[in-house]
Amino acid sequence: MPDSPLTIFLVDDDDAIRSSLSRALKTRGFDVEAHASAFSFLESYGGSRQGCLILDYGMPGMDGLELQARLNELGHELSIIFITGHGGVPESVQAIKGGAVDFLEKPFSQAILIERLEAACAQIRESRQRTADARARLARIDRLTPREREIVDHIVAHPSEISSKAIAARLGVSPRTVDHHRARILEKLGASSLVEVLAMATR
Amino acid sequence: MLGMNKSLGMVIAICLAGLQFLAVLAVVFSSYISSERALIGHARDLLHDVGVNTIEHSRWFLQPAKDAAELAARLAENQVIVSEDLSQLEQFLFQQLRLASQFSGLYYGAEDGSFVFVMRSPDGPGPFRTKFISTENGARKVELVWRDADFRIVETRRDDADPYDPRTRPWFVRAKDTRETVWTDPYIFYSSQQPGITLSAPVQNTTGEVKGVVGVDIEIGMISHFLARLQIGDRGRALIINRNGDVIAHPLIDLIRTTNVDGTLRFVNIADFDDPVARTAFSAIAAGGGQVGSEAPSEFSYEGEQYVTAILPMPGEILPWTIAVYAPEDDFTAAIKRNRAMNIWIAAAVALVTGLISLALANAIHKPFRDFALRSAMLSRGEIDPNEKLPRTYHELERANAALSEQIVARQRSEAEYLQTFRLAPQGVAHVVPGSGAFIRANERFCAISGYSAGELAHMQLTDLAAPEDLPVWRSVALKDASVAVHRQIRCRRKDGEVIWVSINAILIHGQGQEPLYTVVTMDDITYKKRAEGQIRQLSRELSHLSRGNTMGQMAAGLAHELNQPLTAIAQNADTALHLLGQKPTDVAELNEILSEISQQSLRSGEIIRALRGFIMRDEGARIAFDFGMLLTQTMLLVQAEATEAGVTIETAVPADMPMLEGNRVQVAQVLVNLLRNAIEAMSTGVDTDRLVTVRATAHGRQATIEVEDNGPGISPDITLFTQFDTSKPNGMGLGLSICRSIVEANGGTLIHDDSYVGGARFCFTLPVAREVRDVTEHPETKEHLAEGADAT
Repeated sequence: MPDSPLTIFLVDDDDAIRSSLSRALKTRGFDVEAHASAFSFLESYGGSRQGCLILDYGMPGMDGLELQARLNELGHELSIIFITGHGGVPESVQAIKGGAVDFLEKPFSQAILIERLEAACAQIRESRQRTADARARLARIDRLTPREREIVDHIVAHPSEISSKAIAARLGVSPRTVDHHRARILEKLGASSLVEVLAMATR
Repeated sequence: MLGMNKSLGMVIAICLAGLQFLAVLAVVFSSYISSERALIGHARDLLHDVGVNTIEHSRWFLQPAKDAAELAARLAENQVIVSEDLSQLEQFLFQQLRLASQFSGLYYGAEDGSFVFVMRSPDGPGPFRTKFISTENGARKVELVWRDADFRIVETRRDDADPYDPRTRPWFVRAKDTRETVWTDPYIFYSSQQPGITLSAPVQNTTGEVKGVVGVDIEIGMISHFLARLQIGDRGRALIINRNGDVIAHPLIDLIRTTNVDGTLRFVNIADFDDPVARTAFSAIAAGGGQVGSEAPSEFSYEGEQYVTAILPMPGEILPWTIAVYAPEDDFTAAIKRNRAMNIWIAAAVALVTGLISLALANAIHKPFRDFALRSAMLSRGEIDPNEKLPRTYHELERANAALSEQIVARQRSEAEYLQTFRLAPQGVAHVVPGSGAFIRANERFCAISGYSAGELAHMQLTDLAAPEDLPVWRSVALKDASVAVHRQIRCRRKDGEVIWVSINAILIHGQGQEPLYTVVTMDDITYKKRAEGQIRQLSRELSHLSRGNTMGQMAAGLAHELNQPLTAIAQNADTALHLLGQKPTDVAELNEILSEISQQSLRSGEIIRALRGFIMRDEGARIAFDFGMLLTQTMLLVQAEATEAGVTIETAVPADMPMLEGNRVQVAQVLVNLLRNAIEAMSTGVDTDRLVTVRATAHGRQATIEVEDNGPGISPDITLFTQFDTSKPNGMGLGLSICRSIVEANGGTLIHDDSYVGGARFCFTLPVAREVRDVTEHPETKEHLAEGADAT
């Protein structure tokens, strides 16, 4: 999943815009999914796919702001770039407040749109990577035995007592046993020292 | 003053009983005072009369003595009887003695010492006795002769040893000295031991020399007997006091004599007198010399009893006596006092009886009034029929009853009418208690509006009908003390929970004493009206949105947005094409598609621009004939709310023969709305005069002119009208007038600002008169166009 391609969603009621933008983005290698109305987008988008939403501000039925509000309500995190025919400061402020990453006035240069899109996509990928890393660490910690887990917890709770002796005294076992466990922990978590484990566990 | 709120019966009773009581009281009191005073006065008169009587009696008693003595003296002086002839003298004196029973003796003493004395002798051998003293040949001879009533000698005796000499006696000396008739003070006669008085008169010869003195002894015991016989009340007494204070006559004759130490008798002085009442009353007379100057009535009290007295001096200088009379007042007033007590009882009884009679009378007088009052009260409560005949009574009450019955009938009728009006009023009407707002009664309509039955309302208050938002206003409706009426449009929650709009009027009804009686609340359901109002307001708001936010501006914005769409598509496609051109191999098919799309979108842009231009010119073909007056009326509806809010009056002047005009109705309406709104806004600030907008239409030939003028501040010359973005309005866009001018010109007319007008601002526009007159009101297109205009908002 971390490497699953990002989709660019396009919602605009104007056929010509949809057609020209879809073509332009596909030509640039983006995965594009175009919708003529907010309703049709909401119907097909279940929230599972990550990506960027190019959203027309003024549309009949549900307009761009309303769709943004609805998405926020549903908890779907899409990076939204608004495009509008009659851009005004109040409208843009409201859109940015709602979490939009950008607000482009029609007509706009393709280069700018691509630049904004790529920036947004990069941000998505970065956050996606962070999430994946965190998830992997959690998965590794899950592999520890209860006793090993106990030792890690102790280190986290008492970062100053990381010598085998101190830990053994605390847990009521021999320092040798602690040494054994420590080797297993470092191996399982892929860390080189207990300090690294500490950093991993507290992140 | 009798208060007017007293019962008539009480007033009459008090008047009658009170008056008769006062009358009886006055009579009793006055008779009490006057009878006593009269009686005392009467007693005084009586006492005075007694005094006068006594004086008269005394005079009568004494006068014959004087007459007799003086007669004897005169006779002797005139030699009718010779004084030297004692037997002749004796006979004369005897005759005189026989004539007056009060004489006890008469005598004559001569200068030579001879003496003849005829006296009564009740204890002697005969009833009369004569003493002769004579000198015969130097020898003194004293002879006593007793005679019977016929002057016959009964016995004769000699008593020469008797030393009596008349010349030494006071009566002789004084008469001789004064040569007048003199009276002695009373004294007790030696011989008879009776009180008496002696009178002596001198007998003179021709030369004026006194030859002898005639004397008369008068027993005044008779006066005491006379006094004893006088009836002066029961216990009153009269007495005579001499100038030296001696009591010389008293009903109890024994009291006036006392015995001196030498055995002689004398009178008792009043100061020592044994009649204590007399002593108390009159001892002052003795102290004052025994004589009073004049009559003096007085009163005094002795041992707790009140006495009246009278003191009279004996008139004349001869007898220096004072008649004193006293009597207890009670003797005269006791009877009257008894009488008076009885009178009081009788008066009380009379007062009681007449009082009871007056009460009965008052009751009888009052009864018709009472009956009338009762009947009136029953009449006013409707318990008896006003037409029922009145029992016999006074004429005045009959008239009052007639007037009252008439009033009551009128009142009952008006009450019935009011009740009918109340019940059947098309408005909801309710009476509520001022302040609390508790319902007293409510009519059917009120129940229908509120949804509650009259029975339910009876246990409710006005505020129970309030929609929660308007509760404070509802509270104020149940006026407590205000004299003003309340008129409100507020929300009411019906029994079924539905909230409706009602128009509420409340008026506080006062009684005659200005005390609040109840509040009349009228209620109308105005929900429908309110809703219609809301709809009109909404419509006007929408239209205002259209024409005010300047049609063209809004349209231009919309069209500009529209134009952005193809431009965006063109730009994107061009950029894509450029991008594709930078790639090898070039996808010709794709480029082809892109370029054809660019071409399409460019054409679309052109269409949009054409539409923008065509907007103003639009409907050129829809110019139709229309009735300007009707259009104006409709247009005014749209701005009326704003005008009212700004306190502006709009007046229209459209001639009755105004011809049909030709043009696009909606556009003309927009121009009118725009101009009216400008005028209203121009006046909405800083104009104190009556805010007035006048719309005037005139037709002349093929053209009609419509003027819209206001009396606001006018147009500043700094502003160039009809140029976009120039505006004097704080919120204005400055587009209105230029668009108006475009619209008017599109309709074949002109729009100018008449700067010759100085009373405010005046705009004039012209429109062509319809070429052929058609019946516009029948023309369906007219309404369609207006509706279309409204929809376009």
